[in-house]
Amino acid sequence: MVEDITTLVTALGFPSYEIFLAVMILAIIVIGAIVVITTIRPVLEFFPYTYPNARVRARTGRLFTEKEFSEIVESQNIEEVKNYLRGVPDYAKYIDTYPLEKALDSQLAETYDLIARITPDNSKDSFKFLLKKWDIKNIKSIIIAKEAGLNHEQTVDLVVPFGELSNKLDSLIETDSVEEVLNALEGTEYPRILEDAIPIYKETGLLLPLEASMDKYLLENLLKTSATPEDDNTALLHSYIGTLVDVANIKIILRAKADNLKYEDIEPYMVSDGYEIREWKLKELMEAEDVSGVISGLEGTDYAPMLSDAMTEFTETGSMANFEKLLDTYVVKTAKGISLKNQFGIGPMIGFLSRKETEVRNLKIIARGKREAGFSSSMIKEMLV
Amino acid sequence: MVEIVLGTALAAIGAGLAVGLAGLGSGIGQGIAAAGSVGAVAEDPDMFARGIIFTALPETQAIYGFLIAILLLVFSGIMNPSLTLNVSQGIIAVGAGAAIGFAGLGSGMGQGITASSAVGAVVEEPDMFARGIIFTALSETQAIYGFLIAILLMVFAKILGG
Repeated sequence: MVEDITTLVTALGFPSYEIFLAVMILAIIVIGAIVVITTIRPVLEFFPYTYPNARVRARTGRLFTEKEFSEIVESQNIEEVKNYLRGVPDYAKYIDTYPLEKALDSQLAETYDLIARITPDNSKDSFKFLLKKWDIKNIKSIIIAKEAGLNHEQTVDLVVPFGELSNKLDSLIETDSVEEVLNALEGTEYPRILEDAIPIYKETGLLLPLEASMDKYLLENLLKTSATPEDDNTALLHSYIGTLVDVANIKIILRAKADNLKYEDIEPYMVSDGYEIREWKLKELMEAEDVSGVISGLEGTDYAPMLSDAMTEFTETGSMANFEKLLDTYVVKTAKGISLKNQFGIGPMIGFLSRKETEVRNLKIIARGKREAGFSSSMIKEMLV
Repeated sequence: MVEIVLGTALAAIGAGLAVGLAGLGSGIGQGIAAAGSVGAVAEDPDMFARGIIFTALPETQAIYGFLIAILLLVFSGIMNPSLTLNVSQGIIAVGAGAAIGFAGLGSGMGQGITASSAVGAVVEEPDMFARGIIFTALSETQAIYGFLIAILLMVFAKILGG
């Protein structure tokens, strides 16, 4: 045997047995290193998501099932809805402290906050930026409260104690007018964001330009935070945020066209560059004659078929509700698709956030339905996303 | 210092490959499973015991690698100077070490990924525990193949029982 190996070594042109062995060992090391690196690399990509995904999946398991939603919808009154939520630890801590809507928003804001804290570094910027949603919601609530002349307690009930401005909320609430709120925002990024809208507000007294400027700022910059994807995970996050932006733009255009608004009336409210629906396409849609023109203009996108189906109902009722419900469902489906496609990466977080958002939205619909007289359980069920 | 023959030195490389690569795979796998378990326990403290079980599963690959390495060290003459291996046996010992090493690397990482996913599934739906264990155990087979081949190589090369 040894002679055979020696013959083979000599035949291969190695001067000695030891050199052959040294080359062999070197080859094993090189092959081993290649195998190890190529095997480990994909694992390292999703490794940072392991911890957050486990936490998110635990919370996903606590989301309401369809059966539980049916039970909540069948509640006799708002108190029964509250009692049901008192039995759910995630909501229980807020239900007795705040009014129902504020409790639901607080739970959702806490979820956003958790995701922003536990998400890996490469997607942290986007989720942290998303927290501004609560600052914007609070500023909007406060200026609406000031315009409506609500008192301190009523205003506090509208504000969610989350976001970067949470320690500034008291000073904002204590103001007496919208203008004072805007002044109290000095030192934050919002005066700059609102600089074009403030003169319009002062001239017309309309809050819409103020609200739209902040919504636009949130979506535009959120899209930018994920605009240069580092890997598959951030690319999927970008596509999800892009879908949110496109849906927001389509909703604005459809609403505007239902109110017969022209291009120049709509343009200031649009997120300037969408994701799938780019600037030129948005311009074309804004220039459409009416709602059906917008839907025709969307031909070739995922949005056209579902919106075309809802066109008959819109023609009959003039209500935008079905369009909006379909678009919201599309966002939920997109998130679900990402969640299934990318189970080891960012997918579960996007899927959970979207489902949580839907859960809270549905609970708010139920709460509103239970407060309003004449809303049957079946009517509420139809409105749920 | 004890004079080590070339065959024995090669067996030492085999032992290193066995425990090194299998331990690497097992360590990464266990790290992934542990990260998932910590996340699960943070949300649901009752998950601690089940998290430990899932985290322990990718340990086996390191044990296989460790066993093969010990056998190689004992029967190659490193731990028992009365035994020696010739060069052919030494090369086969490298093969045996590589068999369990690479099999343990892939199996350990795969099992860690499945275990982490199973922890997520169990914390979301507690009834998934048994099915999670079954899915996680499937990745064990590759390490068992590697372990068996390593043993067979050692037996037929007369490293074991020679």
